[in-house]
Amino acid sequence: MAYSFDIYLIQALHGIVYGMLLFLVAAGLTLVFGMMGVLNFAHAGFYMLGAYFGYSVVAWSGNFWLSLIVAPIGVGICGGFVERFLLRKVHTFGHAYELLLTFGVFLATGEIVKWFWGNAPLSVQIPPSLSGSLSILGATYPYYRLFILACGVAVLILLALFILKTRIGITVRAAVSDAGMVGALGTNVPVVFLGVYAVGSALAALGGVIAGPFLSTYPGMGLDILTDVFVVIVVGGFGSVFGAVVASLMIGVLQSYGILLLPKFALVFEYVLMAIILIVRPNGLFGEKE
Amino acid sequence: MKPLLTKGAVALVLLALIALAPRCVPVTHVNMLSEIAFFSLFALSFNMLFGYCGLLSFGHSAYFGIGAYTLVLILKHFTGMPLLLALFVGGIAGGLGGLLVGFFCVRLKGGYFALLTMAFNQFFFAIALKWRSLTGGDDGMSLSRPDLHLPGLGVFSMGRPANVYYLIVAIVLLCVFLQWRLIKTPYGNAVRAVKENDERAGFVGYNVYLTRLSLYAFSAFFAGIAGSLFALFEGFIATSVIDAQMSMQVTFMAFIGGVNSFFGPILGAGVYLYFTDWVSRVTDRWEFVLGVLFILLVMYAHTGLIGFVSLDKIKYFLRIKAGIKGTDK
Amino acid sequence: MSILELKGIYKAFKGLQVLVNVNLAVEEGECHAIIGPNGAGKSTLFNVISGKYKPSHGRVIFDGQDITGLAPYKISRKGLARSFQITNVFPRLTVRRNIRNAILSKRRIRFNQFVLVDRLTDVSRETDRLIDMLGLTAVRDVPASELSYGQQRALEIGIALGTDPKLILLDEPTAGMTREQTKEAVALIKRVAQGKTIMVVEHDMDVVFTMADRITVLSYGELLASGTPEEIRRHEGVKKAYLGKKRNA
Repeated sequence: MAYSFDIYLIQALHGIVYGMLLFLVAAGLTLVFGMMGVLNFAHAGFYMLGAYFGYSVVAWSGNFWLSLIVAPIGVGICGGFVERFLLRKVHTFGHAYELLLTFGVFLATGEIVKWFWGNAPLSVQIPPSLSGSLSILGATYPYYRLFILACGVAVLILLALFILKTRIGITVRAAVSDAGMVGALGTNVPVVFLGVYAVGSALAALGGVIAGPFLSTYPGMGLDILTDVFVVIVVGGFGSVFGAVVASLMIGVLQSYGILLLPKFALVFEYVLMAIILIVRPNGLFGEKE
Repeated sequence: MKPLLTKGAVALVLLALIALAPRCVPVTHVNMLSEIAFFSLFALSFNMLFGYCGLLSFGHSAYFGIGAYTLVLILKHFTGMPLLLALFVGGIAGGLGGLLVGFFCVRLKGGYFALLTMAFNQFFFAIALKWRSLTGGDDGMSLSRPDLHLPGLGVFSMGRPANVYYLIVAIVLLCVFLQWRLIKTPYGNAVRAVKENDERAGFVGYNVYLTRLSLYAFSAFFAGIAGSLFALFEGFIATSVIDAQMSMQVTFMAFIGGVNSFFGPILGAGVYLYFTDWVSRVTDRWEFVLGVLFILLVMYAHTGLIGFVSLDKIKYFLRIKAGIKGTDK
Repeated sequence: MSILELKGIYKAFKGLQVLVNVNLAVEEGECHAIIGPNGAGKSTLFNVISGKYKPSHGRVIFDGQDITGLAPYKISRKGLARSFQITNVFPRLTVRRNIRNAILSKRRIRFNQFVLVDRLTDVSRETDRLIDMLGLTAVRDVPASELSYGQQRALEIGIALGTDPKLILLDEPTAGMTREQTKEAVALIKRVAQGKTIMVVEHDMDVVFTMADRITVLSYGELLASGTPEEIRRHEGVKKAYLGKKRNA
């Protein structure tokens, strides 16, 4: 079945938008893994927590824009607590136990969310300034999706500037590369770890706040986005923010076209891509060999 | 004085208890014991990878589920096949799944490996969910339990809990024995060497990739057997048999019991099943309790509960009870 | 025929040339030392020979076979073993199990899933014999991580020897050792490596000039000189590389 060119373009846009959302969630995860060697399952929990915090802030204040700031900060603080008081204690047991701990946190977060907000999906009100749609190529395209795109790009630019240009950013990059060495050179590595973990959590929460109105806010949302995020990290490479961007866009567009062209097999595409990467470049497109 | 409480004596007592259980114990407990049996096998298969080779297979329910679905499908479409063979084929199917996943994943380290096994787990789950014509999707499939024909011994209906119990326990004990023995072979030694220093193992002539891949396939085989037994026991399966939660459960069981000991996962399965059974009756928030307890376990008792159970401690306890003085352990 | 030939070996890491056109031939039965200032590429050379790295260019011929770029385990199985500069044993395993891993590999009993490894009496005997030769009998059942440094270095060499290789590469076997320990280590090597071809990377010149039949000098990845100890001792270029230019030379 042939579609008009416009439809392909629109689908590509859909894919890029979703890809940006994936990037928001994947960026923090890949940084934490690259630097601390921990596959942080709690990350999905923070994403979900962000969505729920966002919902509450909007419900309480009526202001969506406020939630974009408050929710990530709140979750970032939670993330800081988790790193400082839980994760750090199991560091000496090895990576497997760190992973398991973050997993326990993820589970507990899922249950906390159900406890305080209930099991049913919640709908978050999009502010009037972002509702409605734009007319592109003969189709109507929702403003909110463009907003997601804009957010993603903004975060990407800020993150890139921060990591590449500021001293802290350079320290973080060094720590991703070789935490031990950086510590030996006098940097307070625990503080860097704490910072990256907290910021990563905040980023995930931001993704959650933004995703809430788009994908709906429900207890299983963390787990659902996790698969795509995993594939992004595998394809993009661990520790590489740039890889996360490229991979997110690839996965987003791939999913989009998959749903359009072969809806039954849409899921398979990303796994095929992942399998190919695993054979051809096992460390991901931009990952570093250990 | 010859010690009364040797490992052999304990084993015999346990075996006797296991054999007599259906006669002494109400049916619900017999069913619980059956569950503990095949979940133990599942947890042991998980620990073959983690405890003995350092590979964290976080998506292990894939092979459990493949085994379960295979059994149901075989019994549905090949009605003539003997039950034991069908169970075995379930294991083989699981093993093949492991071979496929292992092929991609086993080269990679630690967290990367764990993540990928999860991703593949999701892949198999998605297939089970979407291929409704084959698997029934989230409605699931039921199976009618065939009779067990043992040449020379007769025909046993699998409708009786006691029969199912004995079959499950017998198969699990066999598998446990095979695993236990495998560890003591040169192959088991190679697995351990790869765990302790995979670089040096390679330089000494061990094919690390093949060792890990084969171990993964063996582990998946045993998980598949456990899954087949699960299907036989339940009489009904749905996508919950192959989902992320099932993978979580087996991970919990192994760690609660203790991953540094062979029998730890068995203890873990028992504790987990009894505990979740009890706690879910006490509160609706039992999953939260589980999550918190798990966090505490990882932080404060990461070697598992088996550390609190040992033959020496049992002897000591019995001596105190008997009022014997002195504590030569 | 030389047991090992390196033909035009180049190795670069992301643009940095670590080995440049190294040509070498090692004769069977000899003890061949590789020396050179720090950063000369000696360990990299060992890594290329033993399969850890693939050379950017060039060939490695061992015992008549081209082993360039083969995986380390395949090279080990052909009879080429190596020890490491930084101790690389199986830390949580006992000395016995460390050595036994090598012996089992040598005997190609790596994948056997049917016999019980403890029942293999000839393996146990061979393991104990090698442990005796290494002087580690007293600590046979001690985990490797709990050994003294000298004992660990002995174990380090022992594991490589356990595979009964034709050629053994020893990467700074006396690193970090006192005079006494060094003397013991040299005696040990002479004892256990009889009849084998040895390549040794060393910084201790006394050791080098005692043990080596021939010496090759590397500097900045290039082969500076190769010959008998006497020839090397007299070689101007070698002196310069180590000591720098003399003021009135």
